[in-house]
Amino acid sequence: MSGATRLRQTWTITVLQLRRVFLARRSLWVYLLALFPAAAFLIHGIDVVVTRERLSDQITAPALLADVREGDSAEELLARAGEPLSDRTTPARTFDNGRERPERRYIRYYDGQNRRDFRFESGELTRQTSRPLADFDEDRVVYAGIFQFFYLRLAIFFGCLGIFMNLFRGEMLDKTLHFWFLVPARREVLLLGKYLAGLIASIAIFSLGAALCYLVMLWPHEAVARAAFWPDPGLSHLLWYSAAAALACLGYGSVFLAAGLLLRNPIIPAVVILFWEGLNPVLPALLQKLSVLYYVQALTPVPTPTDPGAPLLVQLFIAPAAPPTVARAVFGLLALTAVVLWVAALSVRRLEINYSTD
Amino acid sequence: MSDPEIVFDGVSKFYGEVLGVNRVSLRIPPGISSLVGPNGSGKTTLMNLMTGLIHPDRGTITIRGLSHRDPERLMRITGYATQFDSAPRGATGFEFVSTALRLEGYSRREAETLAWNALEVVDLTEAAKRKIAAYSKGMRQRVRLAQAIAHEPDVLVLDEPLNGLDPLVRAQTIAVFERFAARGRHVVLSSHVLHEVDVISDRVILIANGHVIADGDIRGMRDEIDEHPRQYLVRCPDPSRLASRLFEHDHITQVQVHEDRRGLLVMTRSQNDFARALGQLAVDGHSVESVMPVDENVDALYKYLIGDGA
Repeated sequence: MSGATRLRQTWTITVLQLRRVFLARRSLWVYLLALFPAAAFLIHGIDVVVTRERLSDQITAPALLADVREGDSAEELLARAGEPLSDRTTPARTFDNGRERPERRYIRYYDGQNRRDFRFESGELTRQTSRPLADFDEDRVVYAGIFQFFYLRLAIFFGCLGIFMNLFRGEMLDKTLHFWFLVPARREVLLLGKYLAGLIASIAIFSLGAALCYLVMLWPHEAVARAAFWPDPGLSHLLWYSAAAALACLGYGSVFLAAGLLLRNPIIPAVVILFWEGLNPVLPALLQKLSVLYYVQALTPVPTPTDPGAPLLVQLFIAPAAPPTVARAVFGLLALTAVVLWVAALSVRRLEINYSTD
Repeated sequence: MSDPEIVFDGVSKFYGEVLGVNRVSLRIPPGISSLVGPNGSGKTTLMNLMTGLIHPDRGTITIRGLSHRDPERLMRITGYATQFDSAPRGATGFEFVSTALRLEGYSRREAETLAWNALEVVDLTEAAKRKIAAYSKGMRQRVRLAQAIAHEPDVLVLDEPLNGLDPLVRAQTIAVFERFAARGRHVVLSSHVLHEVDVISDRVILIANGHVIADGDIRGMRDEIDEHPRQYLVRCPDPSRLASRLFEHDHITQVQVHEDRRGLLVMTRSQNDFARALGQLAVDGHSVESVMPVDENVDALYKYLIGDGA
């Protein structure tokens, strides 16, 4: 059989399998995982837009609030800036330990971009804070955190587990795997066809999910802030996040495909791999390279947000001490995937249909 | 293709501690061959072995000269209808058959033409566009058969293909097997419907506990069983008188008047002596209308070789 025929067979298997992967009822939770961050940002965005609209006729000129100093009285502020968004008072209080807190008055204004909060104690201004209605830099860092901690470590990990382990093990449980094994195709062709189907589906779900989430994150921000960020470096960031998600699918997909061929119970490989991926940053450098997360983390455009006060070990778990370069990360992940797929190919050649024992 | 037979050479298969088949050596020539044996005897194991769904722990298998470990070539010449539905969820009968053909490498148009042909053979064209999930048991059997025969394989392997079929469809299905066999192809089937196996099979392979107990054509196999007397139905107008004469012979072990009182069921230890005795009785003026062997069938062989408890 010619190489072209085998390629055609591979593609036919992929196309047939795609429908099963995309439309399977057991894939529903994968979509929910992928779309959860976008939904969270959407709710946040709607809140920002609605609040901005609601406050649009209560804007106080920033200049009127610029010269407010500690020690000013509330009346002076009200006389200068006019009617506030809110003005509330909490009574004086004595705590159990004997400490006393004087009466406090909180006055809030909105200057068109920020919420300006002023706190008065005993009639004098003691603290003023300014918080943007939508903080662009903060949202980008939040997105980076969600991508690193939720998307890579949970959503793509478990999503790929669900998609790729089902490619063979699911069909074994449904007693339909023999349909594929009775086709005049090499087992490796079948493996590749199914892997491509899982890969296309997972990339479509998670890369598009990451991109959608990114665009939703940008949406509520002021046009000026967006224009300064888009297309450079915004588009590049978007593409790198999508690429990182795709490469994570490539790596985890191969791992879970092989696990589905070698093991019956998906919980065992899930726990072992999750543990390995989590433990990996503190392992010796050589062992670190046997992790999907090690390579994929290096591709994200915004560094993982970490608390500088966090213990060193915690910081080490979040980000590797010596991340690879982008080129090494891509090459390393491709090499790791190739090795895992080779192991899977050896396994699928020996795989037998024996439904009664499953 | 140097060897036109299916050859099992010292094949053993174990599922962990459980025996599948043990030291099976068989040569199955083209024609209709039936695997007969009780549940768990190893029939499906043999079929799965010859189609490469499982691999032997010992021994070798070749199918018309091809290795069972080469699905790319083997499944071009083989069609296998298993006991299990393998159709993708939501697939119609037509999609199921045509999808398998597309995986064979046929173009969409070729696959559709061949699928319609196969569905026509099993008389399923009207229901072809309905979902398999809504099919009856018999229709599912037929659509699996359609999928197995659609690419006109040289080796057709069928696990319990007559189960769930009504008499008319059963006759049509048997006709399909006979047409395949008439063209020098292999049809290997397993069945519990013994009288039908008897009628359609060129060759029977009796299996019990993972061992092949006997194989060959039914009459030849019956000849090799000495410990059970042969049974004949002798049709005659005066069975009582004939019975008394037959009892004079030592080789006759039992004579029983048939329930319709127009014949005798005779058991003899010697086929030749019985023939001579009947000849003599005819010469003496006893009228004998016909003589038919009663136990030259799979039912009897099954009972003799495997037992009633099977």
